[in-house]
Amino acid sequence: MTSIIDIAAASGLNRRDAMRLSAAGVGACSFSGWLPVLARAEAKLKSNAKACIVLYMDGGPSHKDTFDLKPESQGAGEFKPIGTSATGVAISEHLPNLAKQMHRIALLRGMSTPEGAHPRAKYMLHTGYREGQGGIQYPSLGSIVSSEIGKPDLAIPNFVCVGNRAYGAAYLGPRHQPLVVNDPSKGVENLKTALGMGQFDKRVGLLEQMEAGFRKEYPVGAGVDHQVNYQRAVTMMKSREAAAFDLSKESEAIVAKYGSGKFAQGCLMARRLVETGVKFVEVNLGGWDTHENNFERVKNLSATIDKPIAALLDDLSSRGMLDSTLVVWMGDFGRTPKINQRGEKPGRDHYPRAWTSFMAGGGVKGGQVIGRTDKEGGTVEDRPISVLDFMATVCTLMGIDHTKQIQTSIGRPIRIVDKGAKLIEVC
Amino acid sequence: MKNMLAAWALAALTTQAMAWPEKSPESTKPSSAVTASATALAKSVDSAVAAKCKESGIALSPRATDAEFLRRIHLDLVGKIPAIEKARAFLDSNDPEKRAKLIDELLASPDFGRHMADIWQTLLLSKNSTARRLDTGVFVDWLAHQFNENRPWDGMVHDIVMAKGPQDKNPATTFWLSQVSVDNMTDTVCKVFLGVQLQCAQCHNHPFTGWKQDEYWGLAGFFLNVRAQPPGNKQTTSPVVAETKSARNRRNALPESAKMVPPKFFRGEVAKLGTGPEIRPVFAEWLCGENNPYLARAMVNRLWAQMFSRGLVHPVDNIHDGNPASHPELLEDLTQRFKSGRFDVKAFIKGLCLSETYQRSSKPVEGNKEAVIDSYARMPVKVLTPEQMYDSLQMVLGVATGPAARKMAAAGPKGGKGARAQFVAFFAGEEDAEATEYQAGIPQALQLMNAARMNSPAPALKLVSGASDPAVAVETLYLATLSRKPTSAEVAMAKEHAKKMDTPRQAPADLLWALVNSSEFATNH
Repeated sequence: MTSIIDIAAASGLNRRDAMRLSAAGVGACSFSGWLPVLARAEAKLKSNAKACIVLYMDGGPSHKDTFDLKPESQGAGEFKPIGTSATGVAISEHLPNLAKQMHRIALLRGMSTPEGAHPRAKYMLHTGYREGQGGIQYPSLGSIVSSEIGKPDLAIPNFVCVGNRAYGAAYLGPRHQPLVVNDPSKGVENLKTALGMGQFDKRVGLLEQMEAGFRKEYPVGAGVDHQVNYQRAVTMMKSREAAAFDLSKESEAIVAKYGSGKFAQGCLMARRLVETGVKFVEVNLGGWDTHENNFERVKNLSATIDKPIAALLDDLSSRGMLDSTLVVWMGDFGRTPKINQRGEKPGRDHYPRAWTSFMAGGGVKGGQVIGRTDKEGGTVEDRPISVLDFMATVCTLMGIDHTKQIQTSIGRPIRIVDKGAKLIEVC
Repeated sequence: MKNMLAAWALAALTTQAMAWPEKSPESTKPSSAVTASATALAKSVDSAVAAKCKESGIALSPRATDAEFLRRIHLDLVGKIPAIEKARAFLDSNDPEKRAKLIDELLASPDFGRHMADIWQTLLLSKNSTARRLDTGVFVDWLAHQFNENRPWDGMVHDIVMAKGPQDKNPATTFWLSQVSVDNMTDTVCKVFLGVQLQCAQCHNHPFTGWKQDEYWGLAGFFLNVRAQPPGNKQTTSPVVAETKSARNRRNALPESAKMVPPKFFRGEVAKLGTGPEIRPVFAEWLCGENNPYLARAMVNRLWAQMFSRGLVHPVDNIHDGNPASHPELLEDLTQRFKSGRFDVKAFIKGLCLSETYQRSSKPVEGNKEAVIDSYARMPVKVLTPEQMYDSLQMVLGVATGPAARKMAAAGPKGGKGARAQFVAFFAGEEDAEATEYQAGIPQALQLMNAARMNSPAPALKLVSGASDPAVAVETLYLATLSRKPTSAEVAMAKEHAKKMDTPRQAPADLLWALVNSSEFATNH
């Protein structure tokens, strides 16, 4: 098959142009009118973001009860829409603080993804690939960001995950594995020695002597890597940056602004980490799998996220960090437009075909809605967004070339984002 | 050539995989025929490796010291360092046959099967979100038993490929239960049993090998009727592997790239099928049959990699014409020996371990400092796997590691992960990482330095409790962790350190802490 690169060469475009063409998804589809497509997709995106915070709603939040309310529909549910700081944009009444932030947020109401089971959906939303595709494991977005734009000399890892489940670095290697913080109020596990620092230093001194001896006898990479890794860990223990994991260093006013609970503390830690130079933070909140008792649970979960996320956006803005920090809110998928009456209290089931996520900061233009679902909230009528579109957009906002190929350990070239992505017009 | 023929003649004498005495540790000696064919295999390895080094002007490192060999053979055959008494006894023994005897003893130990099961469950079971719900413990037990009984490899593979019925009746079904789709099944069978990576051909013709997409789906055709559902969240009955009546039911589960082509053997002919729904027997017969060259070669390459850190063909499961072996004739010779030795895994491993090549030091000498790793001029230094690390730490920190304790640690309460499984999951590196590559990151180093159990002074104090003077105490701690005696400089270093202590109790604890956190402990050199 003739590739897009060959065609581009024949028509006098250079390789870079050609890469852009394939970035715009031209390679896969028809050639008629491809130039305007290129112009539309490429012209509008900036690459402002220097860091990314993903707020991951584990379980799949109900779009019709959060950011895409359909009061006139059959499965409208119990919640009322309220107006927001963005003209013409309404969201759930249980998100009053976020309503005041809507001028900073681009709602993506056309999410449409293929996986309807939690583990496979989560895998795909974290890596951009279907689980098992091509028989290999894929790195998660955080690892990609760490490997592409992470600071190699940062005293703490460039990818931190607050919550108990992390998707790893796969072929990008151990340096880009996430550092997992299970409980933000406790910080990083085992970061402090149980000994006095003097005793610890003596031990490390002994270890260093042993390392030097071993390296002289067996000059192998593994020994060097081992030593370097330990040095990095000790550096991190003693570093100023490690204070980013210590929420007690925040003022009472700020802590109160974010509110209480693990998720609120996670949001605050995310800001501290980004401030310190960490490139990618994921904060996890579970409980969104509301097959039963959907309304009460979504109401409570809305209260859990409303104040902390609003505080995060405000806080980033007042510190002048919002324009360089991309904040993403997303989940596994949406939930059924129809309400199920199976259980004691009504619920909604998995629904990947149409759902909502949002982006804010990092150069994203706020106060806008991209994409539209039909009157039931069941089908995307305008601007469907695929996982590829979504991943490629996040990469591009962060200045990462999503078409770049990375070699796996067996030398197989794998694109950061698979072919076929169309950037979302968020800027 | 003459040697080779003689070796074959000897190997042919072993008409069946011989019984390895497992139950009575006093008589771990296998039959003389096994020893003879293993010795011949070792010679074949040594002459091939030496010839190539000579040709390239690479010097060979000397024979490993007893201490290097002791630690290496334990980690490679039973997956953990030796107990301190064993280490001391071996190092102090003057028996010229002690290395060969130790190899036999370890191959006869039940820990051999456990270690092989650790390796093979990782290779055989697919890691995916649905398979996580599977009870894999029964499969690990089954594998360990097979390896300890020294089931011939072709027989084991046949059992796995043919496995059906409920998992609690036939643990080998776990293999199929973990593969969630037909392409998943095809990929794993190719990688593990044939030593080839056909998965690229799932969506397009393979760019380097000439393997066509039809070839992939021809192989996949054998598994279209396999129905293997991992258990659901609330399922109480044992999951079942069965055959569906027709492939059609599964079509929805196939990826878009799927091609419907008749089942065809890898690089071979279209299969002649019966009329029933079961097509796996036809495949199993071919896979384990006389005319399939791939099964034996793939296993030979894997067993070589287990000992030498990488396959004669590297990556180990990427055997194809465009990716030649470092020692092509040796691979061919070893494959023939493995086949004529009736797929006897223990005898084959014994042969490898008896070789001078395996027993060579990993320290470089003048003339091989820059030598490529696959010259085997010196032994490659491997990094401990998470399982080896955990089990070796248990040896040092004094927690029981018998089969029962291991089972407890693996299972954990309420079906959750036990301590060992948690440790392994936490330390697991990249899937296809080189065995020589260090994989741990900062969180792992933090755990090894600062976790409570790494800082308890009790294990160190217990180890040195009987020591008559500081030098003996230092020697004890070195033997317990690195399986060697310290040099005089190291004793001096430890004494110097002890002088800085506020209380004498701290010195042994510090030394033990540094030893288990050292690169020497973290590697198999």
